[in-house]
Amino acid sequence: MHKRFLIGLGMVTSVALGALALTSRDTDAQQPAATLPAALTAADSAALKGPKQPIFFRHDIHAGQLKMECQYCHYTAAVSTEPGIPSMQTCMGCHLAVAGKDSTNRAEIQKLRTAWNEGTPVEWVRIHSVARHVRFPHSQHIKALGPNACASCHGNVARMSQVYQVQNVNNMGFCINCHIERNVTRDCTACHY
Amino acid sequence: MADQQAADDVDRRQFLKVLGVTGVGTAALTGCSTDRVAKLVPYMVQDENQVPGIPTVYASTCTECATGCGVHVITREGRAIKLEGNPEHPVNAGTLCSRGQAGLQALYNPDRIGAPLAKNAAGGFDEITWEDAIARLAARLGQAGNRVAAINGYGPSTFSQLLEGMVGQLGGTTVSWQPFAREAESRANQRTFGRDDLPAYDFGVARYIVSFGADFLETWGPTMEQSRGFAASHGFNDGTMARHVYVGPRMNLTGANADEWLDVAAGSEVFVALLLARAAAEAKGSPLAGDLARWTAAEVSARTGIDAARLTRIANEFAAATPSLAVAGGIAAQHRGAIDLCHAVNLANVAAGNLGQTVNFGLGSTPTAGYGAVQGLFARMERGEVAVAIVHEANPLYAMPKSGNFQASFAKVGFKVSTANVMDETAAASDLILPNLHALERWDDSFSRPGVRSLMQPVMTPVRPGMHTGDVLLKVAQALGGSAAANFAEPSFEARLQAAWTVGATGDFPTFWRTSLARGGVFLPAVSSNPTLVDGAAALDPAAPAFDGDAEFTFLPYPSLMYHDGRGANKPWLLENPDPMTKITWQSWAELHPETARRLDVREGEIIELTSPHGAIRAQVYLFHGIREDTIGMPLGLGHTEYGRYAKDRGVNALDLLGAADGQGYLPYVATKVSVTKTPGYRKVAKTEGNPRQLGRGIIEQMPLVYAAQGMTPEQAYKAAGGETHEINPPREREAIDGWYEAQKEGWKLGNYADDATPKWAMAVDLSRCTGCSACVTACYAENNIPTVGEEQIFKGREMSWMRIERYWEGGEDGAPIEARFAPIMCQHCDNAPCEPVCPVYAAYHTPDGLNGQVYNRCVGTRYCSNNCPFKVRYYNWLKYNESAWPEPLNLQLNPEVTVRARGVMEKCTFCVQRIRGAQHKARLEDRPLKDGEIVPACAQACPSKAMTFGNIKDPEAKVVQWSRDPRGYTMLELTNVRPAVTYLAKVVAQEPVVHAADEHGGH
Amino acid sequence: MAVIAHDPSRPTQTHAEVTRDVVRTITEAPTRGYYILVGVLAFLTAVLLGTVTMLLKHGLGLAGYAPPIMWSVYITTFVFWVGIGHAGTLISAILFLFRSPWRTAVYRATEAMTVFAVMTAALFPIIHIGRQWIFYWLLPYPNARYLWPNFKSPLLWDVFAISTYLTVSSTFLMVGLVPDIAAVRDHVSGWRKKLYSMLSLGWTGADSQWRHYTRAYLYLAALAAPLVLSVHSVVSWDFAVSIVPGWHGTIFAPYFVAGAIYSGIGMTFTLLIPLRKMLRLEHMITDYHFDNLSKLTLFTGTILFYAYAMEYFVAWYSGSTFEQTTFWRRAFGPNWWAGWSMIICNAFVSQLLWFRKIRVNLTALFVISIFINIGMWFERYVIVVSSLANDYLPNAWGQINPTWADWLILLGSFGWFGLWFTLFYKNFPIVAIQEIKEMIPMPRRKSHGGAH
Repeated sequence: MHKRFLIGLGMVTSVALGALALTSRDTDAQQPAATLPAALTAADSAALKGPKQPIFFRHDIHAGQLKMECQYCHYTAAVSTEPGIPSMQTCMGCHLAVAGKDSTNRAEIQKLRTAWNEGTPVEWVRIHSVARHVRFPHSQHIKALGPNACASCHGNVARMSQVYQVQNVNNMGFCINCHIERNVTRDCTACHY
Repeated sequence: MADQQAADDVDRRQFLKVLGVTGVGTAALTGCSTDRVAKLVPYMVQDENQVPGIPTVYASTCTECATGCGVHVITREGRAIKLEGNPEHPVNAGTLCSRGQAGLQALYNPDRIGAPLAKNAAGGFDEITWEDAIARLAARLGQAGNRVAAINGYGPSTFSQLLEGMVGQLGGTTVSWQPFAREAESRANQRTFGRDDLPAYDFGVARYIVSFGADFLETWGPTMEQSRGFAASHGFNDGTMARHVYVGPRMNLTGANADEWLDVAAGSEVFVALLLARAAAEAKGSPLAGDLARWTAAEVSARTGIDAARLTRIANEFAAATPSLAVAGGIAAQHRGAIDLCHAVNLANVAAGNLGQTVNFGLGSTPTAGYGAVQGLFARMERGEVAVAIVHEANPLYAMPKSGNFQASFAKVGFKVSTANVMDETAAASDLILPNLHALERWDDSFSRPGVRSLMQPVMTPVRPGMHTGDVLLKVAQALGGSAAANFAEPSFEARLQAAWTVGATGDFPTFWRTSLARGGVFLPAVSSNPTLVDGAAALDPAAPAFDGDAEFTFLPYPSLMYHDGRGANKPWLLENPDPMTKITWQSWAELHPETARRLDVREGEIIELTSPHGAIRAQVYLFHGIREDTIGMPLGLGHTEYGRYAKDRGVNALDLLGAADGQGYLPYVATKVSVTKTPGYRKVAKTEGNPRQLGRGIIEQMPLVYAAQGMTPEQAYKAAGGETHEINPPREREAIDGWYEAQKEGWKLGNYADDATPKWAMAVDLSRCTGCSACVTACYAENNIPTVGEEQIFKGREMSWMRIERYWEGGEDGAPIEARFAPIMCQHCDNAPCEPVCPVYAAYHTPDGLNGQVYNRCVGTRYCSNNCPFKVRYYNWLKYNESAWPEPLNLQLNPEVTVRARGVMEKCTFCVQRIRGAQHKARLEDRPLKDGEIVPACAQACPSKAMTFGNIKDPEAKVVQWSRDPRGYTMLELTNVRPAVTYLAKVVAQEPVVHAADEHGGH
Repeated sequence: MAVIAHDPSRPTQTHAEVTRDVVRTITEAPTRGYYILVGVLAFLTAVLLGTVTMLLKHGLGLAGYAPPIMWSVYITTFVFWVGIGHAGTLISAILFLFRSPWRTAVYRATEAMTVFAVMTAALFPIIHIGRQWIFYWLLPYPNARYLWPNFKSPLLWDVFAISTYLTVSSTFLMVGLVPDIAAVRDHVSGWRKKLYSMLSLGWTGADSQWRHYTRAYLYLAALAAPLVLSVHSVVSWDFAVSIVPGWHGTIFAPYFVAGAIYSGIGMTFTLLIPLRKMLRLEHMITDYHFDNLSKLTLFTGTILFYAYAMEYFVAWYSGSTFEQTTFWRRAFGPNWWAGWSMIICNAFVSQLLWFRKIRVNLTALFVISIFINIGMWFERYVIVVSSLANDYLPNAWGQINPTWADWLILLGSFGWFGLWFTLFYKNFPIVAIQEIKEMIPMPRRKSHGGAH
């Protein structure tokens, strides 16, 4: 709250948020479709948008090339208000068998397997986090918008070699606009309680 | 929410790792902050029962008192966040009292001991390893031979059998003891029926209830079951209700729920009981009539000083009612004549033919050895006959009077072991502390009564690394070797428990075990076997009980609804939840009748010194019309010298005035005379109430049975009783108001407000069922992350209780009998809410579904809403309560579904909007409409007497609609035209109508 | 034509003397006393800021708030300072429109008082809210969340009322100053000359300037005049629109306005009487002015007397037990001392002004003015606190003990106000040079013979 205090007048904030929304949107467009994702190595990840993850997990390979459904791994998102994150077991389900085709992939998958064997969960860097006074029931939104609705907030991760924030999920305007377009509830206590 | 079998501990450890990650705001202590959790830690293996964001419910058993109610532990992401009653459990059938719910704060208590402690030379404690601790205990036991003794406060259970078995193996003795053990009753039963077990009392069918100091709504017996029964019989339904008379020197909560209070002096209750027995015997033509003939109204009147006519009336009413019920044996009547009293009450029940009707032997609990036995054990310690003493789930050095010098006797024991997991008085005096796991962290069971075997299972990783005492004992057995090792060879207590449960298992064991765990135990109907009277039992000639000292006042220590025998004193919820009678929090106090106070020239808050032959204590005065002028009352349970940050040095211990003497196997609580000396000291009484009188404002309406039976409204009843009153609003005004209101509703429709499809939430409260027990208040604290603010803030009236029990006194002055009226007051969610238009930022606003919404993150804190709220149900975060209220690990209890409010924000009852939204989401996912009763706010869920109902007022089938249409229904402060969504159903009393004074109902 | 007796409303000096006397107040080197005064006031201002910082750090719980009393000393002081302002605008604007001659000597001082009083008052709504750092949520500004403030809320009206009042009154003050600053400008040097040249907006005193200036001043006066009534009416509605017994009254708007003017003139006395002595302006601000001010005080004070009586009458006549209880407790409840000090200081003390002797006895007036200030602060305290202390549900009744956080802010607010005023009167003409000059009678000449 003191942060809030220091930030000062809200005009500034809202303007800033607007700007952020814009920039992020067009960078998403700029994302080169041509680049062969597989060409990237963990070393490149520093250069990519978004925070560097302990394991260079490639959404663009899993969701993009392999066309895996989001809910294959993030299954709780469809049944619960909380998305949770895939358990290590979920990863190992495939990666017991799949070792990766090139050296870089193998290296990264090896990290996963070591973590699994040591029983130490991988600590991913969090990218999206909704403010603590907001309730965002994932299941409701997937129910209403279909299984591929994830992109509307999380961006098209199928094209991201490394996931970054596309929408500022804490910008209430972003939520409201969507609710207005679809003419669904705008009652405060739908999200704030 | 389906009951689940517990998964492996290993997995649950993983759950704890994701604390604060899943469940946005899980441990958010700054309601409006957007600070992010930096890391996402996945489960290694995700338990199929554990979906983040979806609560998992485990069945378990409450250990906060001897009753053993079944609980449902609601867990989120591997943390227990709330305790609710287990609907399948026969004892409490889904409800849970304040003490039970606060068990969560024993689990997460910040003062829990995290490792075995050994007393060092300096008298301090050193942390040692479990191996070391077990080795030390085994060594000492090895040397002790048969000079081993154990005090076991844990009731009948597989564990207790293990403990007794092991101590027995070594040739030692185990004494099972709980402070409020009802020894006097079992002695009396021995005398009258030749058996010492306690019957189960069925309040539900009784038509006339007489209680002799038995606080059956507070601490005496299975209070949840009794409250349920009491509500069923004494609550008003289809024109009838049972009548309840309370006999005793002080009107406690149970007495306040009586239709009549007979304020007889301590020790003379027995004569009233005998009178009832005689009347019943004569009316029912029982053979006892002869022996009892001498107990005429005149005789009893002479002995008790109560008007003979009144006694006759009550006796005849009791005799006429079938079935009736008389109960005795509470602490408040535990004087040296307590056995005679219970004896007489047994006679009354027999004479009235209540055995098998309302009194059922064979269904009640079996008594523990009790005070006499434990006192005997201390005598042996005194003589140095005990080398090793193990104290489990008991705190004798607090709960037994200091005058007995038990401290010194205990010190004479060579090696003292305590299994307390917080540093209590006994643990502090011990040489070795082996912190036991909390009931929610361990495998255990409890046989609270015949046929009822309840299970406990670990629902989460231990908050503090501890070890189940059962496991400790088994390890010790191995260490001891020899026959002990052979007889107690199970690898773990869990294994032993399962082995024990194979006996009487039906079908294949894994399924039986799984279903039993899911249900919370095995509940079989027990058959009642009612005894007959021992010959000559009717010839009872009670002598007046003796009192220590000859001072002026009888000292009446009574069990506190919240602190119970003292174990509640370290739980902020129980300390902050006001005592329903006095509204005092965080303190102990001395209760004086105003007349007495006038004589002694003391005022409220002034500190007096009470002196008895056994000691002296100082406490501040509280003036109370509900106590005899010759009696001074004081709640038990405070005055701890240890027991953690919340309890230590708080209040005084009433036991310090008592003698430890015992002739009859129980501690005579009401057996001391005290003298009072005024001291110059003053301490503000931390009351949460302003004015205890409703000043004729008709806030809590009450009507006599006759009128209610005729289907009158409170207003009509008031007029029928000759009350002079005028319409709240004359017809023309009423017309205008209604027209205006219709216009409002049109306005809402325009604003996409409340079209006919959207529900409109409403609540109804039946005041004829509400007993004021305050379980709803604790439930609200637990469900809605309400901070406790502490004594200092309560001096300023800054308590945050979204829901409060308002208690108003009627009468009491100039001879009129004192009466209490209780009503739970929560946000009324007014249609025409005054708080909404005055908020400059729409933080308070009306939701389409008729809630009075409060958006914390929008609130700037002008506080106008609270000024303009006629019910004063809005609470404001004056300071950073969110940082002070939940010291680690208490914060783990926070409900992730509810935002924790930050400093500077207004908050209030939301009708548990998180439950409403949750149910709506669930229904939508399952493509079905909401069912009535699917949404139950925390208060209504907890209510032991089911006095509240909640639902959609637009759904004609809804229960809340039927309740709201009841002629007794009214809304508070109607003249303000705020249109509350909460309907109160007027309290009904089984009393003759009294013509009101004209000034009453001035509020109308 | 008969000889005209000396009209007390007209100054006795010549144009030159007027300029000289007023300019002197500015050009003279400040005395040691002045520096000490400024030092003390600056310290009190620091105390104010310090206390506010504590409130920001720990929350409003530091103050003595005790539910159900959710508003106490801060709101009381807020209303107190807003009230002070009104006298200034009344004298400078309304009396100007009514062309009442005696205002000229005093209006500059009262007008300055107005501006600084409102500047002080404006602090309080911000200090008193729970999350001061988002006070701007009360302002209507476009935002991504489509959230607007609630125009139904009197607190929002308040925001507009106060900001308007501050803008208009400060503009009015500055405009009024222009010719005088120009006059002073020509007598000073250094930074002051620069400052004055800037503030005098290149005033030369040309006819065209005068023509425009007088018009502009007239219109501004016309604009300011209604604020005297509107601002404090809005402030009164902060209370009157609620359903709190003791607040919920139709009499509130006029009652508050009268009180405001009454308190304003009280403060005017408190400031002018010593000031007149310090700056040796006795021959400009004379008994005559104080006599008139006193009459105004007497008038408004009597209205208050009536209002108080009416409040109690209505409470009794309403037949509402809630209203009755509130007013009974106001007089005989735990806050009786506040209730009675308000009635004595305002209703009764003001009645002394029926006597001319007292009206022109400055010592007496000064003492009375202190009573007025105290009385008016207590009036607001009584209205705010003793009404909230006991409303509908007796169970929720409460009592309050203000703490250091309350008192220091109250004290500090005087420092803040005083600091501004003190700096002002030493650096700006505290008496309106030009208008005084206008009042100076023209030397009478014989009329021309013959017809035109």
